[in-house]
Amino acid sequence: MFEEIYKKYWQKIFRLCMGYVNDRSLAKDLAQETFIVVLKKLPEFRNESKIDTWIFRIASNICLRQIERQKRYPKGNFPANLAEDDQASMEPKIKFLYQCISELPEMDRIIISLELEDVKQADIAHIVGLSSSNVRVKIHRIKEKLRIKFRGYGE
Amino acid sequence: MENNVDLNELWGKQRMNPPQVQEVVSQFSKIKKKNLAKVFAVNGLMLITIIAMVLLWQYVEPRLISTKVGILTMIIAIVGYLFVYNRLIPLLREVDENQSNRAFLEAAVKLKQQQKILQTSMLQLYFIVMTVGLCLCLYEYASLMPSPWSIITYSLTLIWIGFNWVYLRPMVIRREQGKLDGIIKGFESIQQQHEH
Repeated sequence: MFEEIYKKYWQKIFRLCMGYVNDRSLAKDLAQETFIVVLKKLPEFRNESKIDTWIFRIASNICLRQIERQKRYPKGNFPANLAEDDQASMEPKIKFLYQCISELPEMDRIIISLELEDVKQADIAHIVGLSSSNVRVKIHRIKEKLRIKFRGYGE
Repeated sequence: MENNVDLNELWGKQRMNPPQVQEVVSQFSKIKKKNLAKVFAVNGLMLITIIAMVLLWQYVEPRLISTKVGILTMIIAIVGYLFVYNRLIPLLREVDENQSNRAFLEAAVKLKQQQKILQTSMLQLYFIVMTVGLCLCLYEYASLMPSPWSIITYSLTLIWIGFNWVYLRPMVIRREQGKLDGIIKGFESIQQQHEH
């Protein structure tokens, strides 16, 4: 069961973490941490919520917990990123989108990442703990901000 | 200038090859082992200290009640520290990730504040009880020494205690509090984003 979940959700969780930190190596660590928690808590999962909502909730809380990690290992104390892999060859527009998202306030990063991952707005509301109408308004505002940034892109 | 950019499409193009599942599983057991090793190290060190004290009691055979009370006091301080370290602090570190972000942040702030109070009072109490225990232990042996030596012994011990009290204790407490304050502040600033 875990293997199936891992295969199905790895990219989605990686992207969510990437939207939060905009650092592939760090995002990979956060995604790994998410799956470690999933592995640990899977026996307790009772199908009370949908599995994707459950996993996104864990991942987004682990992203929020990033503050603790920063306090324990301040930036610059991390070893140099040796695995920059294919980022250099990535389309600049993709990099720009993730950069713009990572510059938003923390909660907005999570909300827009979930929206772009096609999570239903009602589920996003459950994950972040806001009302659906509030989420809808926030998504509208964030998308507007991103569009404005993209209008200036390439000028 | 970009007007009709498809954000969803761009978003989905970000990919990274997932590490092998076995890597996650082995990391999970590695973390477990590492945590266990840390617990063993702290507990082992403290237990060795307790054993050393008990052996001291057996071989030196203290005659005064103050020495016995002193040794017991120090053992109580260590056992108390171990109890807080092993039982209470782990409870405060664990915030359930399986709740909404809003509830998670609330719980995290609350637990970090409790951890701060607990750590500060535990460290204060540990220093006080250890100092009392050490002074009581020292009394019998210092009283048996010729007076210049007993004065020197007591002075050196008090200097060491003073250094601990004035320099080491506030430094450790400040460092721990600083870390926790930073984390609490960070969580609170994210929490405020829910209101806007």
